[in-house]
Amino acid sequence: MLLALAAIPVLIAVAVRLSSSVPPGRGPAFLDRISQNGLFVAVTAMLVSVPLFLPLTIGVVAGDTIAGEASLGTLRYLLVAPAGRVRLLLVKYAGALAFCIAAPVTVALAGAAIGASLFPVGPVTLLSGDVVQPPEAALRLVLIAAYLAVSLAGLSAIGLFLSTLTVVPVGAMAATVVLSVVSQVLDQLPQLEWLHPWLFTHYWFGFADVLRQPVLWDSFASNALLQAGYIAVFGALAYGRFVTKDVLS
Amino acid sequence: MNRAWLRWVPAAAVPAVIAAGVLVGSIPARAGDPLPQKSPAEVLTLLGQHNTRSFSGTVQQSAELGLPELPAAGPSSGPVSAGGAASVVEFLTGEHTARIFMDGPTKMRVQVMDRLAERDVIRRDNDVWFYNSKDNSAAHLALPAFASDLPLPVPGVPALPEPPAPPEPPAPPEPPALPGPPAPPGDLPGRDLPGPDLPKPDLPLPILPGPPVPPVMPTPEDLARKFLAVVDSSTEVTVGPDVEVAGRSAYSLALAPRTQGTLLEKVAIAVDGETGMPLRVTVMARGQAEPAFEAGFTSLSLAAPDDSVFTFVAPPGATVKELPVPPVPYMPGMPALPPSPGGITPGVVPDSGPDQVPPDAVPLDQPTAVPEEPPAPDKVPGSDASLRHRDAPRPTVTGKGWETVIGFPSAPGGQGAAWTESLLKDPLLSQAAVVVPGGRLLSTALVNVLLTDDGRVFVGMVPAERLQAAAGAA
Repeated sequence: MLLALAAIPVLIAVAVRLSSSVPPGRGPAFLDRISQNGLFVAVTAMLVSVPLFLPLTIGVVAGDTIAGEASLGTLRYLLVAPAGRVRLLLVKYAGALAFCIAAPVTVALAGAAIGASLFPVGPVTLLSGDVVQPPEAALRLVLIAAYLAVSLAGLSAIGLFLSTLTVVPVGAMAATVVLSVVSQVLDQLPQLEWLHPWLFTHYWFGFADVLRQPVLWDSFASNALLQAGYIAVFGALAYGRFVTKDVLS
Repeated sequence: MNRAWLRWVPAAAVPAVIAAGVLVGSIPARAGDPLPQKSPAEVLTLLGQHNTRSFSGTVQQSAELGLPELPAAGPSSGPVSAGGAASVVEFLTGEHTARIFMDGPTKMRVQVMDRLAERDVIRRDNDVWFYNSKDNSAAHLALPAFASDLPLPVPGVPALPEPPAPPEPPAPPEPPALPGPPAPPGDLPGRDLPGPDLPKPDLPLPILPGPPVPPVMPTPEDLARKFLAVVDSSTEVTVGPDVEVAGRSAYSLALAPRTQGTLLEKVAIAVDGETGMPLRVTVMARGQAEPAFEAGFTSLSLAAPDDSVFTFVAPPGATVKELPVPPVPYMPGMPALPPSPGGITPGVVPDSGPDQVPPDAVPLDQPTAVPEEPPAPDKVPGSDASLRHRDAPRPTVTGKGWETVIGFPSAPGGQGAAWTESLLKDPLLSQAAVVVPGGRLLSTALVNVLLTDDGRVFVGMVPAERLQAAAGAA
């Protein structure tokens, strides 16, 4: 799955390399910068993968946590060990979180690597028009990856809860992905403006604030708070469900 | 069974805790020390004396004028059309956030934060830069030397004897004050700066005092100044209970028209209790619960920002445009836009005739323009210089105070009707304008604009019927 994610920046970079110059203002943001600076491959790839690809992979991983074991019939063996259900749940969630970190980092690394090999790398122009040197730009990339990892933590908590509801892993995976899409659609409807700050996808695109000069931390903080809320709510739900569940498989 | 229910306790408790936390957080926090009581006059003085020139903060602006929202869907938003109208409208619809850094009178930076994009105006001494991240374009304007010495003209405060308004503080180096041709108001700097090829569809400047919408975004300061400039006997000034804005306790100064005949219900200005700086301006329209327009700080620090913030070098790969320096210093009352070289030959046919009121630009300025001018229509800034020069008819004024209606006669030679037609070709405006007897009406929560079929334009912060009556009488 990480390989599939890594393919996104490669695809973008090769496509831009083969095509003629992209007119500014068309296509995803930052796309027109790629031919000038390879580091923008990573930014563009992360931007492109935020709405669907990252939630998709997170949904698969998080939805598989409990339901996957149940469907394979290994869950009861895991529970036979004197580790306790809470601990199993925590370990499973830690695994999902590790993937949340690994996924954007993979995209960023692959993007930076393919960008550096196909395009020149130089000082990076931030959204504010200021120019930073490549080491600083790499730091910004790490920050974006961290932002996305935080953004996905809430979704993986939802996936974990859904995974405790069923023994069919595909169901939990699909439900998780669908929820993230629904949340993004709701976020676009101006009629539901009151709801927007509560949607876990609301700040997903806020990672652009990392590319401003000076860095705007507001969205990072609000995002972290929101995701922490989702982790608490769905973690508690998953706990309630999992420790009271009759494990038959 | 009992134990099983216990397991669900966290699941119920966590949302409850979060809900409680949100409720507690939404209760407006009491300021530590209540501000000392002040009369409206004292608050006005405090506001007038404020001298805060070094700060950094975030300004949030929202508008509910009833104009059609620009489509902002998609991963990135920002100015939509290259033309003038849409970008002017842009700042009058929806929400915008900007960071403002200022240090002394000659250093400032405004960052309008669009989604995945940003627009910047940076000024350091005589160098002004505009940058737009969307197409990576920059524009540079070198102010003539006198600009740094002269107090820049105060936007929106015409050179008229002032009513009871407080003494105006020295002009801040806001973008609107720049003696430059910067751009169709409210428009994107770097992108569509007035070039020879760009017809200026929105030339409110010769008509309305000061640039109607600053090139970037009006700050609470700009707005407060505009409204305070029109305080006179037709306005009731009161001080409401203290408010808290951006974590600072502030006086709430309310300006309310005494008449019922205007669309404007109230203007509330939050005046920082410590420094007297305007922190938030809220414009309420009659019959609308939500503020028609609001701009205020969401965070504010009075420490001088880091000096590097004001340094700007055009990034590599950016298209850089050098803007021409206006030949004459811009002063209030003079046409703000000197005829641009290669543009319309002055004196031929005014494409910027007196009827050129971009309806979108009006709401912000109307309060300034309207109540001040009634006694002397020919005092309308710009009219003396530019209009007489062009031998165009003068605007008519009916009503007074907040109920003023300004009528702009049609330009000679049937230009007015043609212009109205071209204005309505703009899809956004034609969508907003509805057909009424005698013409078309562009209606917003605060201002109505009537474009009559014969090319006249009537503007006022009054109900549409008043405009139609004025049009019928004229």
